[in-house]
Amino acid sequence: MIHTARILPTYAADTSGVCSALYELGGMTVIHDASGCNSTYTTHDEPRWYDRESMVYISALTEAEAVMGDDDKLIDDIANAAAELSPRFIAVCGAPIPMMVGTDFQAIAAAVEAKTGVPAFGLHTNGMRSYLAGASEALETVAKRFCRRDAARSKELSANIVGATPLDFSVNGSVESIRRWLVDSGFRVISCMAMGSGLDEISLAGGAHVNLVVSYSGLAAAKALRERFGTPYVAGVPVGAGFARTLAAALASAAENGENAAPCARRRNGARGGLAVVGESVFAGSLARAVEAETGRPVRVLCPLETEDALTAEGDAAIPDEDDAAREFAAAAGVIADPLYRPVCPDGVPFYGLPHQAFSGRCYQKSVPNLINRNLRLWKTI
Amino acid sequence: MIKIAVYGKGGIGKSTVTANLSAAFARLGKKVIQIGCDPKADSTINLLSGGTVMPVMNYLREFDREPERIEEIAKKGFGHVLCIETGGPTPGLGCAGRGIVTTFNLLEDLKLFETYKPDAVLYDVLGDVVCGGFAAPIREGYASEVLIVTSGEKMALYAAGNINSAIHNFADRGYAKARGIVLNRRNVENEEEKVRAFAALAGLPVIADIPRSDDILRYEEMGKTVVEGDPSLPVSRRFFALAKTLLEEGENDE
Repeated sequence: MIHTARILPTYAADTSGVCSALYELGGMTVIHDASGCNSTYTTHDEPRWYDRESMVYISALTEAEAVMGDDDKLIDDIANAAAELSPRFIAVCGAPIPMMVGTDFQAIAAAVEAKTGVPAFGLHTNGMRSYLAGASEALETVAKRFCRRDAARSKELSANIVGATPLDFSVNGSVESIRRWLVDSGFRVISCMAMGSGLDEISLAGGAHVNLVVSYSGLAAAKALRERFGTPYVAGVPVGAGFARTLAAALASAAENGENAAPCARRRNGARGGLAVVGESVFAGSLARAVEAETGRPVRVLCPLETEDALTAEGDAAIPDEDDAAREFAAAAGVIADPLYRPVCPDGVPFYGLPHQAFSGRCYQKSVPNLINRNLRLWKTI
Repeated sequence: MIKIAVYGKGGIGKSTVTANLSAAFARLGKKVIQIGCDPKADSTINLLSGGTVMPVMNYLREFDREPERIEEIAKKGFGHVLCIETGGPTPGLGCAGRGIVTTFNLLEDLKLFETYKPDAVLYDVLGDVVCGGFAAPIREGYASEVLIVTSGEKMALYAAGNINSAIHNFADRGYAKARGIVLNRRNVENEEEKVRAFAALAGLPVIADIPRSDDILRYEEMGKTVVEGDPSLPVSRRFFALAKTLLEEGENDE
């Protein structure tokens, strides 16, 4: 059945994507909702919640306020909180109720900015799209509003990491490993959007020679940086030692010739009946290439989330619904996916669990492996 | 590009005014999109020779998926005016206002303006600004100006007052501004005086004065606007005059 899931959970929602992307930037993020979105976010989607403070709030929208369209209360509440907290910026996003009553978050943000003097922006979330849509719009907005036009191009070769959130990389040291790998590959890291960098570092992102897009969440921001500064982007995650070398070479080429590239999608054509990787397109594509590099086997990506053609290879398939996943799994020689996909994988098809925070939340958080720039030793498993 | 939303009391002649204005723009060589924002989905009927286009809400209901191409939910009518109707949910169910927001989001996803590159976009909106959804056409990025259609009838003027107040309430949001009143005559007593008094009070000009005309009805019976049927008629010339005024202002603004 279309849009029906009997067994599988859904991915983290767009509101969680916004909060996750903006978490470390010193701004205030307000979800306009009765409640529920924030507890889902803090309990399941945000591993930093108990270790690191961030200004993430819920508006506690009431039925009467929703029916009456009382935007002024929201605007006043945000202004009062901002006066106390002095955030660097204010992001306002909505959940299903505001979506149903047609709340105009851009207009609300404009009113908040006029009232507080703090840069404010509204985001088009509705609690029903995936985290990628929310994180993508949030990072794109940060790139457009806070990256300084006068940022000078650095003298030494440099790069930004764009699209890193714990929803895709957990907090297991993977992002730090990507930073180290970049440095070892000859790049100074100007900023990481948005783990481990503050707004001041990100404001200098225009000085980089190339942007490394590590998830679909970062693609729109990278395109905005391309438009503003002419910086090329390269899509891929340095998963596995072999693919990490390929990706480093692609980054160096892009920095040299100014051309965008998507090494995560430049794979041998995976076919039905072969090995399949399930997940976010940039990471899954990179893992597929890493497996291909180590085993020589072509691997296809089964993508349950938003992506675009440039990030996919021939033979890849979208699996937006549970039925699609079950059908493609049944035809595969093996499936690499979050453990919560296991129940829709037929018994005879080998299943390799790889936890993804955005899908299984904290269920397997402690066992998310760091696969960056290391030999995957796949001969032991696949 | 000029972008205009047409509001007014139910039954006052918004669709007649909007469709004739679209036809006039088209006859003046302009590329036009008309978007009907009423669950009845009959805004563009007289641009389509009495035919219909599949409303966006009907498409979603029938196919249980979003359209992938503009052509699936749009039809070219007289003068190549691109006709779109939001339609609405099953009568008595769902949320018509939300349907308008959904339609607009969809048109944005389909990059309607970027691909079609219209000179004029007209939104024909249901009776009153009853909720957030019906204010969607005047949000930033959609219409930049509002025409309020009224006759001299008391309830029509009352509705026009409400619409004008709603627009004023949104002044700090960067929404569309009220451009003026279109007097669509019903031949009530002292009609012009009443409407001009209202307009003066509201601080708005009467930008067009459309006479009561059997010609409009005659051509609508044939599934046409009067501008299509006979552009030389006095009533048609009123629509051309309104179109030219709006175009000239639009060009000056650019």
